[in-house]
Amino acid sequence: MAYCIQCGVKLEDRARQCPLCQTPVMLPPHMERGESEPLFPQPLPEEGTGGINKTSKGIIELILSLLVVSEITIALTMWYSGNMAHSFIPLFSTAMAALVIAMALVARHTYVAQSSTHIVLVSLYLLGLDATNRHLSWSLIAVGALVLLWIFAVFTTTGKAKAHPVWTALLLVISPLGYVALVNVVIAGSLTWFVPVALPTACVFFLGVGLFSLLFLTRNKTRIPLADIIFFSLIVVFLTFTALDLFMTHYRQVIWRLNWSLSLFSAAIVLMILLGSVSASRRLRRYFTSQHKHD
Amino acid sequence: MIRAQSYAPEGFIALDNSALIYPPTEAKYNANTFRVSMDLKQEIVPQVLELALQKMLERCSYAKVSLHKGFFWYYLSPNHKSPRLYEEGSYPSGRISFKENNGYLFKVLYGKHRIALECFHALTDGSGALVYLKMIVSEYCRLSDIADVTFKGALAFDERPKSQEFSDPFQHLYDKNIPGCPSTGSAYHRKGTGEYDDRVKVISAMVDAQTLRARCKEHGYTITVYLCSVLAMVLQQFQKEEVPKQRKRKPIHLSVPMNLRTIFHFDTMRNFTLFAVPGINPALGEYTFEEILRKIHLDMALSQDPKRIRSQIQRNVGAERHILMRFAPTAIKNPLFKLLSNSLGDDLYSAIISNLGYVEIPKELESSIERMDFYLCPGQINKVSLAVVGFKDKVVINFSSFFNTDTALEREFCRFLMEDGIPVEVSSNRTE
Repeated sequence: MAYCIQCGVKLEDRARQCPLCQTPVMLPPHMERGESEPLFPQPLPEEGTGGINKTSKGIIELILSLLVVSEITIALTMWYSGNMAHSFIPLFSTAMAALVIAMALVARHTYVAQSSTHIVLVSLYLLGLDATNRHLSWSLIAVGALVLLWIFAVFTTTGKAKAHPVWTALLLVISPLGYVALVNVVIAGSLTWFVPVALPTACVFFLGVGLFSLLFLTRNKTRIPLADIIFFSLIVVFLTFTALDLFMTHYRQVIWRLNWSLSLFSAAIVLMILLGSVSASRRLRRYFTSQHKHD
Repeated sequence: MIRAQSYAPEGFIALDNSALIYPPTEAKYNANTFRVSMDLKQEIVPQVLELALQKMLERCSYAKVSLHKGFFWYYLSPNHKSPRLYEEGSYPSGRISFKENNGYLFKVLYGKHRIALECFHALTDGSGALVYLKMIVSEYCRLSDIADVTFKGALAFDERPKSQEFSDPFQHLYDKNIPGCPSTGSAYHRKGTGEYDDRVKVISAMVDAQTLRARCKEHGYTITVYLCSVLAMVLQQFQKEEVPKQRKRKPIHLSVPMNLRTIFHFDTMRNFTLFAVPGINPALGEYTFEEILRKIHLDMALSQDPKRIRSQIQRNVGAERHILMRFAPTAIKNPLFKLLSNSLGDDLYSAIISNLGYVEIPKELESSIERMDFYLCPGQINKVSLAVVGFKDKVVINFSSFFNTDTALEREFCRFLMEDGIPVEVSSNRTE
C-alpha cells in the first residue's frame, strides 16, 4: 500500500509513480513493491487508431455532396445546350477541384505528404485535360517537370534521401537528363537532338561542376570567397553555352564551328579577367568587400 | 399529447430522437461510446459469458440490431449475425468498428475478472447499457453457479418484452404547442498542455461512499451537485490562470446527463437522456465553493423541471420533424451535422460529468463483485470527461482523457476532494 507524498492519494500496490503528479513512489529498502492487478492490461498501444476528425470528415462529405450536385447540374446544362461532346473538361475539372480539397484534409499534414499528394493530383489533372483528344502530348512535358520538381524539392527533404546521399546525388544528375530526353521524345517522336546536343552539353556542364567542386573541396580554407564562387560559376555557364553552340551547329550544319557563343565568349572574357584578378589579388578583393573598408 | 405514428416499413427501426446525432458525428475523437463494467472475484470463462450474452439478446431482441445509412436517415435493422466476444484491451471506450463487430452497436469484453459492455450511443444510454450488463452478469453468475439472483432494475428473463422497452419516448412526449427551449452560449474550454491522441487514458479515483455522502450532507447537497461543483471550481481556477482579465472569462457550463426514466416513468431501453447544463459565469467575479454549490444546485433543480424538459424535447423533436430536415438526403445532412454539432453541442459546455447513480448489488453477489466502472469517451473540444458510479460502499469517479501527459484537471479534482476530507484511492492505465 503506497501513498503519494505530493497529492496524498492512495496508490495501487504496483504503482511506480503517482498518475496525478508523476511523483515517484519510493519504498524503504526492506519493502517490496506489491503485485496488484492493473486497472487495464498493460501497456497502452503505441499509437492512436488513426483516421480523421469530425470536422475534416464533415468538410469532405460536404464537398463530395456538392460535387455530385455540381456534376449533375453541369451535365444537364451541357446536354440541354447541345454541348455534351465538350462536357468532359468542366466535369473533370470540377471533380479534380473537389478531390484536391478533400485530399488536402485526408493526407497527413506534413510537407512531404501534402506536396506529394498535390503533385500527383495536378499531374492527373493535366494528363486528364490532355487526354480529351485521346492522345497525350504537352501534358507529358508538364508532368515530367512536376516529377522533376518533386525530386528536387520534396524527395531531397525525406529521410530516405538523407540516408542514401550518393544515390540521391546520382538521381539529381540523371533526372534532369531524363526530363530533357522526354521533352525530345514528346516533341520529335524519338531521341533526335538529345544524343548529339543535349547529352554532350550536359556532360560538359556536370564535368565543369564536378571539377570545380573538387577544387573547392580540396582547398584548405573552409570559407570560399563569394567572388570565387561567381567566377567559377560563370566559367561553367560560359563553357556550357559554348559547348551547346558547338554541338548544335554540328547537329544542324555537320561542321564543328562556333556561332553565337563567340560574342558571348568575348563578353565573358572581360568579366572573367575582372573576377579572376579579384580572386587572385587580395588587395582587389578587399577593395570590393565591405568587411575591410578601404580608406 | 400527440402520439407519433411510425411509417417505417418492416425491418426499418427508426433511431430515437437523441440517437440521431451520434452516427453522423462518429469520427476520430468522437467515438460516441461509453463503457460499463463489473469485476468479479471469480475468473471469467468466455464460453459461459457467450451463453449469457445470447440469453440476454434472446430477451432483449431490440439490441440485436445493426446500423445502416438510409437515403434520408440512419436506421436500425434486425441483425441475424452472432455477436462477437472480445478480450479486453488496454483502454476503454474507443471507436467501435461495426464491420468487425458483425454490425452490432455494442461490444461485450472480458478480462481476467471483468465483464464489460461498450456501447455506441445510438443504441442506448448509460442506464440502458447498465440494464444489459446487469442481465449478462446475473445470467453469467447463474450459469457459473455463483448465485441465482436478479439485479434491481434489470429486466426479467421470463417476461415478454413490453412495447415501452423499444419505443422512442421522445416522440410520445413531443407537443408542438410548447415553445422550444433557448440554447446557451459557448462555454470555456480548457486547452490543456502537451500532445494528445485518441487512446483513452484513464485515471480512476475511488472514494468511500459513506464519507462522500456525509460530506455532501454537511454541505447540504446531493453527490451529483457536489461533484459538479468540484469540477466547476477546478475549471474556474484553470480559467483564472489562463485568462487574467476577468471580463474576458467565459461561462463554465457542465453537461450533466439526466435519466428521464425517473422523471417520466417510462421504462425504455433506448436513449432517454437529456442534458442539464448547470454552470457559473466567472466574468461576474470569483465564486466561492459554497456559491458554486448553490448555483449548480439551483440550475440542476431548474433543469429537472418536467415542463422545461418537455420544452427541450419540443426543440429537439421539432428540429427532427422540420420539413427541410425530413426531406434532405443523408448525404447533405451528415456533413452538416458534423460541422454544426460542435457549435450546437460540445462548444456549449466546458466538461461532461455523468453520474450513473448507485447500483444496488444483490446480497448474494456482494462478496463476488469487487468493482464497478463507468467510462465515457472524451471529445475533441472537451478532452477530459468524468463518469461516476456507486456500488457497495464505494463511489468510482473515472476520468477519461485524450491528453498524453496532462493530468492537471484530474490532479486538482482529487486534491480538492482530499482537502475537503474525502480520501481518494487512485489507479490508472497511464504509463507516463
